[in-house]
Amino acid sequence: MDIKGRIKDILVTLLKVRCEELKDDLSLEASIGIDSTEMVEVVIALEKAFGKKLSPKEITKFSTLNDIEKIIQAKINSPQ
Amino acid sequence: MDKIAITGIGVVAPPGIGKRQFWANIKSGRSFIKKITRFDAQMYPAHIAGQIDELEKYSTVSERLLKKIDTFSHMALIAAEMALNDAEIEIKKEDPNLVGIFLGNALGGWLYAETELRDLYIEGREGVSPYLASAWFPAAPQGQVSIYYGIKGFSKTVVADRASSLMAIGYAAKVLRKNKLNLILAGGMEAPVTPYALLCCNTYGGLSEDNEHPQEAYRPFDKRRCGFVIGEGAGIVVLENMERAKKRNARIFAYICGYGTTCDGVDRIRPAADGKELARAISMALTEAEISPEEIDYISLDGLAIDIWDYSEVRAIKTVFGSRAKEIPVSCPKSSFGNLLGACGVVDLITTILAMEYNLVPPTLNLTEPDPEGLNFVKEVGREYYIGKAIVISRGRGGINSVLVIEKA
Repeated sequence: MDIKGRIKDILVTLLKVRCEELKDDLSLEASIGIDSTEMVEVVIALEKAFGKKLSPKEITKFSTLNDIEKIIQAKINSPQ
Repeated sequence: MDKIAITGIGVVAPPGIGKRQFWANIKSGRSFIKKITRFDAQMYPAHIAGQIDELEKYSTVSERLLKKIDTFSHMALIAAEMALNDAEIEIKKEDPNLVGIFLGNALGGWLYAETELRDLYIEGREGVSPYLASAWFPAAPQGQVSIYYGIKGFSKTVVADRASSLMAIGYAAKVLRKNKLNLILAGGMEAPVTPYALLCCNTYGGLSEDNEHPQEAYRPFDKRRCGFVIGEGAGIVVLENMERAKKRNARIFAYICGYGTTCDGVDRIRPAADGKELARAISMALTEAEISPEEIDYISLDGLAIDIWDYSEVRAIKTVFGSRAKEIPVSCPKSSFGNLLGACGVVDLITTILAMEYNLVPPTLNLTEPDPEGLNFVKEVGREYYIGKAIVISRGRGGINSVLVIEKA
């Protein structure tokens, strides 16, 4: 599964939302009304899934799926 | 004084979810106390309770929300929905700034808390759900009901041990009388059937350890009393000013006419043996209601099934009602399903309202030999009787006294 697919999978499993509700270019707040506590849970789950340290400041409820994919892709590509 | 109308009832309790099922089982005189099955409770000195099974069958709460809240908030959401539907109120049509929520709770949401705290010690901080911080504390149900319906008016959570929910209702009635709000969802919820909460209840003492006879274990005002049994549940009523309720042609079940509350101030657990402060709370409620003791048709008893609590309660009633104390029908229906701690007052109120509606004094299961004597106890079988005005008594540890006077509409 590609990165975006895995992110979607995590959001669907964690937040019990339907996959169709998630839109690539809409913020998580706009598409599924995510709140700040849900964001904490999502960031922790993404860190575990991709093995990369993520900051709640770089992934927020205003991030889109495309934004999150880019951030994680950059971390994976980073030599550190 | 202005009467406050009760226009909607929502109840989630061991005898039933919804007032029809609840009342049918209350009047039947069946017991809903059994051995705890939710977890292995055999090692606890007292391991029986009034439990609610299949809560989710009655719920419209989404899975997304359910994972963020404790059972006590879930029960409050179900009771709130039932109460609003019963009152035929569409909350979206109300001014959200003029709707309030007044709920009582004694323990908090321990199933969520203890599960996550276990993970904290096993997995470290990342093993803990971020929802824990907002799921466990006593005001969480008030917050969840507020978010669910977009309610934004003045609201409160009252923590006063077993008197919590009746105190919340009394407080709500006072706020409505000041015309600060249009309507209030008032009541309480409690979910003590969890490993840690049950441990606390056992440590506190006073629980019946008659585990081999769950249905007979809770015997208030009986010579063979040996403590109370816990139960879980929630009750919420819709309160409105009488004028507003009449104007919208609401069905009014009963009126809250008076409320009184006092503290014994003698011990951190026990009440005062003389019952004087409870008597003062009863008198205070009657005075506020402008109702004389002679007019009261029924008293819903607190009935903790512990010597000093039962004796002092009877003493207080005799102090206020004098020679009439032996005539007024009194009962303690919660012996059939358990003491819902912070939610027991509102469930007693709901039982009393239904008793008024159906002209039947509900029975006190397991009361065969009254001790002390001198009151007109309605024992194992309900009694047909017209109830026009009634008193509901709810008491918390350390001698918190809370008394409501209600009148049939």
